[in-house]
Amino acid sequence: MAFDPLLLRPLFPILAQSAYDHPLTYLDNAATTQKPLPVLDAIQDYYRSFNANVHRGAHFLSDRATNRFEQARDTVANFINAPEQSHVIWTKGATEAINTVAFGLEHLLEKGDEILITSLEHHANLVPWQQLAFRTGARLRVLPLTSNGEWEPEFNRYFTDRTRIFAATQISNAIGVSTPLQTMLDHAKQQGAFTLVDGAQAVAHYPIDVQALDCDFYVFSGHKMYGPTGIGVLYGKNHALEVLLPYQTGGEMVRHVSYQATEFNVLPYRLEAGTPHIEGVIGLAAACDFLNSQDRLALLAWEQSLATHVYTRLHKEGGIEIYSPEKNTTLVSLSVPNIHILDLNAYLDSQGVAVRAGSHCAHPLMAQLGVAGTLRASFACYNTMEEANRFCDVLLEAIDLLNDE
Amino acid sequence: MTDSLGQQKPVNIKALLQACRNKEETFKTLVALSKTLPRLSVEEKTEENKIKGCESAVWLIMEENNGTRHFKADSDAKLMRGVLVAILSLVEGKTQTDIQQMDLKAELAELNLSSYLTSSRTNGVLAILDKINKA
Repeated sequence: MAFDPLLLRPLFPILAQSAYDHPLTYLDNAATTQKPLPVLDAIQDYYRSFNANVHRGAHFLSDRATNRFEQARDTVANFINAPEQSHVIWTKGATEAINTVAFGLEHLLEKGDEILITSLEHHANLVPWQQLAFRTGARLRVLPLTSNGEWEPEFNRYFTDRTRIFAATQISNAIGVSTPLQTMLDHAKQQGAFTLVDGAQAVAHYPIDVQALDCDFYVFSGHKMYGPTGIGVLYGKNHALEVLLPYQTGGEMVRHVSYQATEFNVLPYRLEAGTPHIEGVIGLAAACDFLNSQDRLALLAWEQSLATHVYTRLHKEGGIEIYSPEKNTTLVSLSVPNIHILDLNAYLDSQGVAVRAGSHCAHPLMAQLGVAGTLRASFACYNTMEEANRFCDVLLEAIDLLNDE
Repeated sequence: MTDSLGQQKPVNIKALLQACRNKEETFKTLVALSKTLPRLSVEEKTEENKIKGCESAVWLIMEENNGTRHFKADSDAKLMRGVLVAILSLVEGKTQTDIQQMDLKAELAELNLSSYLTSSRTNGVLAILDKINKA
């Protein structure tokens, strides 16, 4: 039986509202997804039934909170097939996870070492490495991938014996293309580099197996996968996490403190200073449970069919530049010559259609594409074919209205 | 624009925008207004005249003549040109003191343009008002 997104709609009450007297059509899912009732309920349940600080008090509520908090770590570890729950570090998001690694590896970098990223990175997987390079005298190198996510065999030469860190996105947030991750990781590992994968755009759509990927670090944000904002994950292999110097210090991450010295706690606590985002952790586990309860491949196939449908319709119209692939993606990224994307966005908004117009935190990629920005419609499992068509209809109306010169 | 007696009247920008009942009407009115804004020449679109903080490119030029201020502006986005028409209609020909005593944010809100006044990264109307006020 074909997947029916309407069955999921009751779980997302936020979608059942009007925007300026039009049905709200939420197609900005690559920025953040909406949260299903089980996630909202889990957060409320935490505050109603077991709010207490974790790992500290020896009392009824604290024990409950700590148990649920550590169960959530198990849930997330299983969700990405991490071998040990202690390999899952809570962060506030993918950005903080990358910064934790960038600061944590700083002590291992020397002048002349190389940090390699790809040309499809979000600023979150670019600026921390660039700044690390500035601090250490290492060299930031950029592996050029085409906007089709392809790479040329001669790009091997970017992986050298000086490559200490290789960081790459799994899927481009701006143009929805998948990178040749496994090939790149293989090359990086041959050079003995630490490898980091930015999974922010992947986790909501693809089942993730960090052991199969065999990367040293994998990072993602909860809010892009139906979970709450302010919670994210740094997964790392044991040896990779062990070499990280803590990026933040303070309570919770210590075993013993004197004025002379501090003995740090073991993983994962060593990298989690301060009271954690407990409600976020509980909500993220609920989001994992929600996704686990679905046929994930059916969801993915549906989301891809929406993107392909929009691609096909708009491609047929002509006069629209589409930067995302026709297939195997869950978003459509486009621009229209001689019409500003902010004008298109404003008309879509006036009709209740929420998309994103801009550079998508990827200025160098926009420069590579030769545009200031793109208009991006990104799909989630609850989006309907009617919504995909509404985006096309309203976009074409906008082009008509704006295309009079 | 003509009134009910068929006589020519100057475009009352305030009335046009206030008559908009929803976002779509405001959008269409701004697109119509954008066509009344004379475009700047390439020479006038200097880095100095460009306003920082707008995702669409916006240029603003102010000239002072016998104590009154006169403005020229342009943008690569059509809707922003419409918003510029509305903003300039509030300040054109006024003295610096007059302008500084105005609450431009409140006046734009009265024109149904408050959604352009958020400090979101997608629009820099606040940056434009700032430049007009500090000019």
